[in-house]
Formats: sequence, C-alpha cells, structure tokens
Amino acid sequence: MATVLLVDDDVDLVEMNRAVLEHRGHTVLAAYSAAEARQVLASAKPDIAVLDVMMESVTAGFDLARDIHESHPHMPMVVLSGVHEAMGVPFRFQPDEAWLPVLKFLDKPVAPGTLAEEVEAVLRLIKE
Amino acid sequence: MENLAVLVVDDEPGMRLGVARALGGYTFTLTELGIEVGFKVDMAESGEQALEKIATARPDILLLDHKLPAMSGLDVMEQLGAADDMLTVMVTAYASLETAVAAIKKGAYDFLAKPFTPNELKNAVRKAAENLIMTRQARQLAAEKRQIRFRFISVLAHELKAPLGAIEGYLHILRNKSAGDDPAVYDHMLERCLVRSQHMRKMVMDLLDLTRIESGQKKRELVELDVRDLARTAMETAAPEALGQAVAISLHADAPVPMIADRGEIEIIFNNLLSNAVKYNRKGGRVDLTLRTEGDSCLVEVADTGIGMTEEEAARIFNEFVRVKNQMTRNILGSGLGLSIVKKLVLLYSGDITVASRPGEGTTFTLRLRRVPHAAAQAAGELQSHGP
Repeated sequence: MATVLLVDDDVDLVEMNRAVLEHRGHTVLAAYSAAEARQVLASAKPDIAVLDVMMESVTAGFDLARDIHESHPHMPMVVLSGVHEAMGVPFRFQPDEAWLPVLKFLDKPVAPGTLAEEVEAVLRLIKE
Repeated sequence: MENLAVLVVDDEPGMRLGVARALGGYTFTLTELGIEVGFKVDMAESGEQALEKIATARPDILLLDHKLPAMSGLDVMEQLGAADDMLTVMVTAYASLETAVAAIKKGAYDFLAKPFTPNELKNAVRKAAENLIMTRQARQLAAEKRQIRFRFISVLAHELKAPLGAIEGYLHILRNKSAGDDPAVYDHMLERCLVRSQHMRKMVMDLLDLTRIESGQKKRELVELDVRDLARTAMETAAPEALGQAVAISLHADAPVPMIADRGEIEIIFNNLLSNAVKYNRKGGRVDLTLRTEGDSCLVEVADTGIGMTEEEAARIFNEFVRVKNQMTRNILGSGLGLSIVKKLVLLYSGDITVASRPGEGTTFTLRLRRVPHAAAQAAGELQSHGP
C-alpha cells in the first residue's frame, strides 16, 4: 500500500482517481495546482506523484516535476496530461532524466482503473 | 515606405530609360492605409530576358511591351500563366484594341497605349500599385482571421474535453464498480456527471450566443423598454442559485430606465452578470443591482460581496475562455465565455464595461449603454460577420 499524491486542477479527475486508489488500499493526497503540490510536499512524503501538466501555466506540471526531482530525488512521478493534443505538439514528450524526470507519460483520458494499475506497476518496478 | 519592384520590358532603350526616369523618384501616399509608396525599376530588353528575371526575382508590377522582337508580350504572359502576386500592365501601340483585349483575357491588369506621357505612366502604375497593396492587405487580414478562428476552435475543443473526460472517468468506475461497495459513492459520481454535463451544455449554449452575436445572425429587435423590467426577470432567473448560496439580490432603481434595445441581448447581459455575482460570492453575501439614467446613457452597476480578484486577473476576464483559477474558484464551473459575450453586447450599444475588484471583498461591474443606439452601431450589429 502506498501514499499517492494526485495533482490536477480538475476536481473531478482528482476525486475519481482518489476513489479507485483508496478502494485499492492506497492513501491519497490531493493538490489542485502546482503551488499546492509544493505545499503538500513540504510536510508529506508520498511514495509516488501523479502530475497534470497544464495548470497555472501550460507547463506548470513540467516545472513541478523538475522541482520535485530536485527536492525528492527518489520519488517516482507519472505525468498524466492532454498537453500533446491541446498544444498540437508535433512530437511526443518523453521522460528524460534532466528535462522531464518522470517515469511515465500518459495521455489523457486515462480511465481511473488504468491509472491505478499504472501507478502500482511503477511502484513494483521501483521495489525491484 | 513601401517599395514596389517594377520590371520594364521594352526593346527600345529610350523607352526603358524614360520609364525608369519617370518612376525613379515618383512616390504617392495610399491614403486608405496611410503608407507612402515608391518604386524601384529594373529593365529587360526582350521577353526571354524578362522571363529569366521574373524567375529569379518576381517584380510586383510588370510593364510589358507587346511588340517585342522574338516572343511578344502576349507570349510572355502565356508563359507566365496565372501570376498570383504580380500585376501586368500591357503596353500597346495605338489602334491595337484587340491586343489589349487579348492581354486582359490572359490576366493583364491594365493596359497603357503608346505613346504615353509620364503622367499617364504614373497613373497607370499607381492604379496597379494601389490594387496590389489593397489586395495583399485583404489577403493578410483573411489569413489572420483564419488563424484566430483556428486558435479559438483549438481552445474550445480543449475546454469541451475537460467535462467529457470527467464524465467518462466516472462512467468507467460506475461500469466496473471499481470504487467499492458503498452505493453513496456511486450516487455522488452520478451527481457529478450531471453537474459536468450541465456545465458542458451551458458552454455550448454560450458558444451559440457568442457566434450568433458575432455573425449577426441573431435578428435584433430594437424596441422601447424599461430596463428595470428585464432586471427583475433576470433576478428571478438567478433566484434559485442565489437561494442555494444564501445570497440576497436587491434592485436599486428609483425611476424608470427607458431604453431602445433588443430584449434578448439585455437579458443575456443581466443573466451573465447576476449569475457571476452569485457564483463568485460568499455564503450569505449580497448582490446590489443599480440602474439609472445618465444623459444619453443607461448606467448598470452589479456589485457583489464575493471573493473578488486581483488586478492582474481582472484585466483578463473579458477574453474568451479566461477563467480565474484559484483555491476559491476550484469548485465553481463556468464556460469562460460569459463576460466576453457581455462585452460584445455592450459594444453593440456603443457602451463600455469596467470592473473594479478587491480580493476577498467583492467585485463591481459598471456598464454604460447608449439608450438610443447609434445608427452606425445598429448597422454594425446587423452586418457583423467577422466572428470566429
């Protein structure tokens, strides 16, 4: 069982993923902006963070990922975003040690059950 | 200063030099756009040489003699085919009307009869230059409009996908029962699905309002009315939401506020402003709606005791799809279109709308609408066709 930080500015996306993750036995911390996520991380230490990208700015989630990588170098992160489609990016963002230090990049929409499985898969991978 | 390139094609050296000299220092002002136009002249002594030059650097205006030694001016035009961004003025000798007609058919913009005076030359070139610049300007505006429309649609699609994503996510959970056995959890999810789909519907309706206003397809019916009556109707519309938030709405209007206006448009203005004043209020807050006549204007003030916003936020709210996002507004749904609709309507009444706000204290919108619309604004309302 893990503590999962969900960061998304859409209340319902946080709520639905919280419902499924909690049902699977995990503890969920929620933040509705990158700024709130930084506040949460000042006192709590989740096992994994799931980040939206377009929040306060179109790249708020990317900046947040780099900050977390700095402050919590061993915390795994998953990006969950519609940024590819929304911004019409002609290439795919790839996890990258320096620029985008996350383990997975998932394109919205992701069904809550699928996200929970992805999160658990990443946690298993980290353990091994 | 806009410098247009002119290529003079003539086998007589005297003619080429004469044209170059006449146009060399010639400038004129295009009054419609307020730009000064000048010319830089290049020369070719045959059709073949002209084609070579055109292939490397396309001139803006081609002054093409018809009677050339090898290939004729018409042959050159034939070879050029449809020249998009270049105007050809065909130079023909007297009594060759047929040539002129043939040239026009091949796409020449104009023709100039030989011999011509420097003034006739300047006038012909000026006419072509004006046409060319105005056409380019119109083309550029059309391209910008397409760009704006494209951006609008991209943002719109993104905004519509958010509620859709929320609804789909909940439906997945409901189908797979992946959130446990408590029925209350699923009831809450169904409730959220309804809230988000209502929000999506509101967005679609706002969008239709916006496009109707901008396309001028909404027929305006300007009638004499008392703005107070419409304000009261809007207050009734807002009442259920106000009740839910325990927000009291009061109307302050001592005298009738007569105006010539379209009922539907004024209703949209009031509905949007009151709905915002309630939504962004605090529980138990107030909304004060003040109406009065001030000379030629009808003054509308909507003041709330709500969460307010910063100056930076207030500066952006009339733009499409801009919503103030913070902890206070997290649970408030909106289309991001309401205020841009209000602003567009206010402009139809030659009016203005301003906002004064303080975070934590409240927001006041002040509108000034002309009580008797200008004929011009009325026409604009009917003819507008530049919407996204």
